[in-house]
Amino acid sequence: MSGFWRQAAAVARRDLTGEVRTGEVLLVTAPFGAIALLLIPMAVGTDAPLLARIGPGMYWVVVLLFGVLVALRRSAAEGRPQRELVGLLGLDPAARFAGQALANGALLAVFAAVLGPVAVALYDPALRGWEWVPLLMPLTVAGLALLATVAGWLTAALDSGPTLVPLLVAPLAVPLLLGATQVLEGLRLGEPILGWLMLLVAVDLALAVAGVLGARPLEEAAR
Amino acid sequence: MTNRRLWELAAVGTLAVALAAALAVPPEQTQGDVARMLFVHVPSIWLAYVAFVVTLVGSAAYLVTRRLKWDRLAGASAEVGVFMTGAAILMGMIWAKPTWGVYWTWDPRLVLTAVLFFVYLGYLALRRAIPDRVLRARRAAVFGILAIVQIPIVHFSVVWWRTLHQRSSIVRPDSLQLDPPFQAAMWMAVVAFTVVYVVLVARRMELSRLEERIEDALAAEERALAGDAVAAPRLDPVPVTAGGDDE
Amino acid sequence: MTSPVVELRDVGVRIGDVPVLRNLDLTVGAGEAVGLHGANGSGKSTLLRVLATLAVPSAGRGRVLGADLASGERFAVRPRIGLVGHEPGLYPELTLAENLGFVARVRGVPAAAAAAALEQVGLARASHRRAAACSHGMQRRAEFARVLLADPDLLLLDEAHAGLDPAAADLVALLTKRARDRGGAAVLVSHDQSRVADVVDRSYELAGGRLAPVSG
Repeated sequence: MSGFWRQAAAVARRDLTGEVRTGEVLLVTAPFGAIALLLIPMAVGTDAPLLARIGPGMYWVVVLLFGVLVALRRSAAEGRPQRELVGLLGLDPAARFAGQALANGALLAVFAAVLGPVAVALYDPALRGWEWVPLLMPLTVAGLALLATVAGWLTAALDSGPTLVPLLVAPLAVPLLLGATQVLEGLRLGEPILGWLMLLVAVDLALAVAGVLGARPLEEAAR
Repeated sequence: MTNRRLWELAAVGTLAVALAAALAVPPEQTQGDVARMLFVHVPSIWLAYVAFVVTLVGSAAYLVTRRLKWDRLAGASAEVGVFMTGAAILMGMIWAKPTWGVYWTWDPRLVLTAVLFFVYLGYLALRRAIPDRVLRARRAAVFGILAIVQIPIVHFSVVWWRTLHQRSSIVRPDSLQLDPPFQAAMWMAVVAFTVVYVVLVARRMELSRLEERIEDALAAEERALAGDAVAAPRLDPVPVTAGGDDE
Repeated sequence: MTSPVVELRDVGVRIGDVPVLRNLDLTVGAGEAVGLHGANGSGKSTLLRVLATLAVPSAGRGRVLGADLASGERFAVRPRIGLVGHEPGLYPELTLAENLGFVARVRGVPAAAAAAALEQVGLARASHRRAAACSHGMQRRAEFARVLLADPDLLLLDEAHAGLDPAAADLVALLTKRARDRGGAAVLVSHDQSRVADVVDRSYELAGGRLAPVSG
């Protein structure tokens, strides 16, 4: 394995092992997302056709807004001693970014996968075209993971970091939200979805490139 | 034979009888075989309510007596309760789809059950987050009592909401007429599940007790100046053995 | 004559507005070990962080392992520096073996080396324990294992003997010797001069932001 991917894999493995030990995403964050999905119909009305219409949209809104908490999980928090250790390891910043984004993406995928059946049960949306979900899900989740990782780097070592990350992520997640919901809507109505899928791909690529290229300057500016 | 064995045998025995009864009962007129799911769904929900009341009792008893065994009871009962609530909701959804055409309705009791599930999931998450057993017992007890006090308020608000917005909904979980053989089988299922509940809670409490003993033993080992796990360092270089994966 | 491992001239460091180090000179040649002492708050840890290239001087010139501290060169020499700081730099939820495994994987060192390093510091049987569940002394030992894995040219130890029993204190001597034998250097910070005196060539006292040699 080349050095970059070996180091990225080491970082991802470290992050995922830490989260498996704490279990926060599965036991705390996912239930919180599920509660949000439960509360929405209590607020807007339980009219079955209404819920079937808004179901997919509400699902993605919850995944995107609450999913940010996955990036803020306790097991990802690093104190100064850990940051200094990492700084002296000769770890390529771009590899570190990639590893963190991969771990965030894997955990977000679990988060989104757990909430999927909950949304289906509560909102009973029309399940037309959902064979595209295995493609749509990773594209959207990858975008959110990359965005949240970049936001985490921008707010690293700041006291107000955790509060800032959701604010930084949410507006920039608009293309992800639109892409995901419009693909499902398009499938429901029989309209073309390729454009929206391409939008998601473009957003993901732009974020990945920005993250990898910006990793070294960001890390060096921090010290 | 020990007390515990007796209870475990009773659990297996009553479950077997209940299962036999559930399968022997003729299929329900309108729903067919799917109705047999109710034999799991209804007792689960019933036991879940019982479990959470027991958690309340345990929490209050702990705060009064400060004896950890009440906290262990509260925690164990909440665990079984959450599991049974989750199982009941899942069973309910599997039963509802062929029967009513939907997985979920916004009937007050269902909503309340879902809320109950999440409240006690939160209770368990709180317990999990506190390593110190006395602090955990105290805070969990306060939350346990607070939650129970809130539940009737939640229930009332949800019922009020539904009466205001009730459309002509065909789906009402109460609308089942159960004939005598069905009822008898249902009672057997409830009895069986109750015995299972008691066995599970008792076992879980014992597990907690054993976990605490392990913690205490580990702490004592740490206090020893040079524990078994920490050996003297070697000052000659250690040869690196090649091959094999790590950990 | 090989160039010195550490060369600080007239270095000043501010934390915020507060000057912590000023007009500080220090030279450590290849194969040397020095001790640093001083009262709490005298800036010992800050000086160590400067040497680790983690803090940039606001005044003066410094070179560590040949790299100019004020420039981007300093990032290149970081893998050659081994720092054991005041607080443990382990990931609390990971076991000692997993912590060391992470370091090994990042550096491209075989996994068996991580296990060997843990054995060398006497933690082989505790390697499956979560770092958070280990005592401070064990965590320090694990950090020494990490330094063994890295085999640095510049060894920096903050509060070198803190939390170590006498047997494990030999580890400090071992690590220092290894750094020196490689042609590198070691800087040991300690508030207990006597324990460090056997291991170092000379000692300095840090007071008023400056270093003064200490005899004995």
